[in-house]
Amino acid sequence: MKYSRTQLGSNIAFSSVIDEKFKTSYLTVRLITKLSPELSAQNAMGMGVLSSSNSEYRTLAEINEKLSSLYGASLTTFASKRGDVQILGLSSSWITNRYAIDGENIEGDMLSVIEKCLFSPNAENGEFNAESFRITKKEILDRIDAELNNKRGYALARASQVAFKGEPAENSCYGTKEEAEKVTAKSAYSAYRKLLETAQAEIYYVAPQENPEIPEMIKRGFSEVQRNSGSVQFRSVSKAKDSIATESDEFDVRQCKMVMTFKTTSDDIFATKILSTIFGETPFSKLFLNVREKMSLCYYCACRSLSYKGALMVDCGVERENIEKAKNEILNQLDEIRKGNISDEELSNAVLYLDNGLSQVGDTPSSYASWYFERFCDGNIRTPQEILDEYRKVTKERITEASKALTLDSMYIMYNKEDKE
Amino acid sequence: MEKNILTSQRTGDKCIHVKHPSGLDIYICEMPGFSSVEALFGTKYGSINTMFKMTDDKEYTVVPEGIAHFLEHKLFENEDCDVFELYAKTGANGNAFTSFDKTAYLFNCSKNYQQSLRILLDFVQKPYFTKETVDKEQGIIGQEIQMTNDNPEWRVFFNMLRCMYHNHPVKIDIAGTVESIAQIDAELLYKCYYTFYNLNNMVLSIAGNINADEVLAICDECLKTCEDKGLETVFPDEPDEIVKSEIYEKQPVGSPIFHIGYKCRNCNGQERLRKSMAGSVATSMLTDPSSEMYQKLLSDGTINSTFGGEIFCGDGYFTAIFSGESNQPEKVRDAIVCEIDRWIEKGIDEKDFQRIKKSTYGLLIRELNNVESVASRMMDSHMEGIGPYDTISVLSELTSSDVLDFIKDELRKDRLVMSVIEGTV
Repeated sequence: MKYSRTQLGSNIAFSSVIDEKFKTSYLTVRLITKLSPELSAQNAMGMGVLSSSNSEYRTLAEINEKLSSLYGASLTTFASKRGDVQILGLSSSWITNRYAIDGENIEGDMLSVIEKCLFSPNAENGEFNAESFRITKKEILDRIDAELNNKRGYALARASQVAFKGEPAENSCYGTKEEAEKVTAKSAYSAYRKLLETAQAEIYYVAPQENPEIPEMIKRGFSEVQRNSGSVQFRSVSKAKDSIATESDEFDVRQCKMVMTFKTTSDDIFATKILSTIFGETPFSKLFLNVREKMSLCYYCACRSLSYKGALMVDCGVERENIEKAKNEILNQLDEIRKGNISDEELSNAVLYLDNGLSQVGDTPSSYASWYFERFCDGNIRTPQEILDEYRKVTKERITEASKALTLDSMYIMYNKEDKE
Repeated sequence: MEKNILTSQRTGDKCIHVKHPSGLDIYICEMPGFSSVEALFGTKYGSINTMFKMTDDKEYTVVPEGIAHFLEHKLFENEDCDVFELYAKTGANGNAFTSFDKTAYLFNCSKNYQQSLRILLDFVQKPYFTKETVDKEQGIIGQEIQMTNDNPEWRVFFNMLRCMYHNHPVKIDIAGTVESIAQIDAELLYKCYYTFYNLNNMVLSIAGNINADEVLAICDECLKTCEDKGLETVFPDEPDEIVKSEIYEKQPVGSPIFHIGYKCRNCNGQERLRKSMAGSVATSMLTDPSSEMYQKLLSDGTINSTFGGEIFCGDGYFTAIFSGESNQPEKVRDAIVCEIDRWIEKGIDEKDFQRIKKSTYGLLIRELNNVESVASRMMDSHMEGIGPYDTISVLSELTSSDVLDFIKDELRKDRLVMSVIEGTV
């Protein structure tokens, strides 16, 4: 594997990972900006419209016809959030020319499609093509509506709103429905132009062979743009509230959902990650073994660490009558860690578990891109081995200290209607 | 013990198949350059296998719905400890799943695969069920059932199957119901275990950063020879006709979802593979974003990008499904019916067919790029009675006439079912 990173302009970086085992090439372009309630929807639509057409393939039908003729090459856009930051992206993947049955230049054609999507979108007179925009707008409004279809995901999103109230992270990466309704083909186009000018740009190419044309294409595209980009702050720790905030909703569901958000005052991100692993990230964690296996209260009861916000979230699906019991046991298990009740085996198993995940970085093209992007967000580009070395240095004392730095900040509960007292 | 090398003529990819003296079929794919290992130890036993007997048995045994899935949960607990505790010591990520026609125990890891493989082979061959452990699991699985009942994607799919199938157990929920799992006890679990977890009914599939000889040596050490007792599974007779043509359910969803499915005639082995490839290309062509029908439905706001098609088939069932989000699912159904009529009348555009065929080929190549997909493909194809690379060869021979024949023969209006989950909020 050969990794290189090159600055192509002001806050524009191109990372290339060459690994000859792959049969596909993968390119992802990420534009990073502050998550703003006013601009999220515009940004999401501005980026979203790019995969529906470009200046050469003027309709969704035309662009899709081209993609399927290139052996089902994928071309997607996405919006996501990472703490207080919004990430707008375009990703594409295609099989390498070696596998083309009729000798097509798949990579050459795909780069041409991508270049036009990014730098020559289907727009005239300062606004996106009306039909392409209309399709994208409906798509994003549908995504906002469909958030409720996934109850666990919805509960976690609502918990973020409660936990990070007043901070950018409380917002969805698509914005609110009201904001999304207001976006026009013109405002979305302006938002995209603004992103090109001001967002940090991170481009990742993972393939079996180098292709010098890609950085050239990116430079060519940005040469037409007046860059005025500042750095985004990726880690913005959220302070715990003075008293525990609780919010709930009521839906016609069979199973209730509970999310507990803890905030930390500790900067020891490695100890906090291992704490989270021992607490509830694995099938041999304290939450799994006690809340699920011993008490049979839940099918899932898991913890996740949001290091960029200094928070831990525990979520579970539970019967209404068992909510209090589950909450008490979750707090009880955290207390066990605070008391230092962590066995040598729990610690070494947690490190082994993390080691397993780290060692698999590079087995898919997207895992390479995600790894290097996450390290860029950390502000320190390190290898999986270097991160593993940090985990190995963590002691039980550091974990106990990290657990003592946690405070229960807020709770979100989705109640079922029938059982509501 | 003979090692058969299986090769894809198209891509040059290779894997090894061994019929082990214990009775187990083993598939191994060494993938140089990859760090991880994916291993699956599977049995041809899923939620549809509710009625079975051995050659020596006089009567068929009928078991409660959801027992294959219950058994999967319970096998993770052996006499001394929980299997997850054993995996914890190797760093492997252990898991299992039960589907309609199979149960598989798996791990993925990047180090110590030899030790993890020993754990896998050992615990799956060592059942331990007691009244206490069975009772404890009722609560956990009860919560899993409630969770899936709140999942609209799950509900819309099973509602569709219930509209299609009169008797075939594909219509029952994989995890069963809270009532059906209450009938499960340790004795019944042992009965199912010794019936289906016979190595002659099982397969081991392992891919990634491994050495084939090392894998086989571990198999020699851990596998206990099984006598083939002639397992027979039966399914109730299933008429070609559907039960009813539509079903609507209300759930708290923000965006209504639909499944439109055609009940097709079932078949097995290579015939099923050919038919599923023809069906797969047909559904892809019908839902292709550059098709006229897609464009029309998209432009009037009837569908969004979630609209897609797929083939779902197995022992005794075969369906072609169109799914997505829509406020007007009836309009989507009518458009599909109309488009199929048009194709039957006018034929298929050869250029479009070739394009979609290429696109399908690209997807199959991508599967070979991924350790997990390779391991799954080897296990699945064995259970389906085909070779791991047969899909690519069958696709290369597929013609537009095959696709048109599939559409004419199988996508019949009188076998069409629509299931919708409407919002309550």
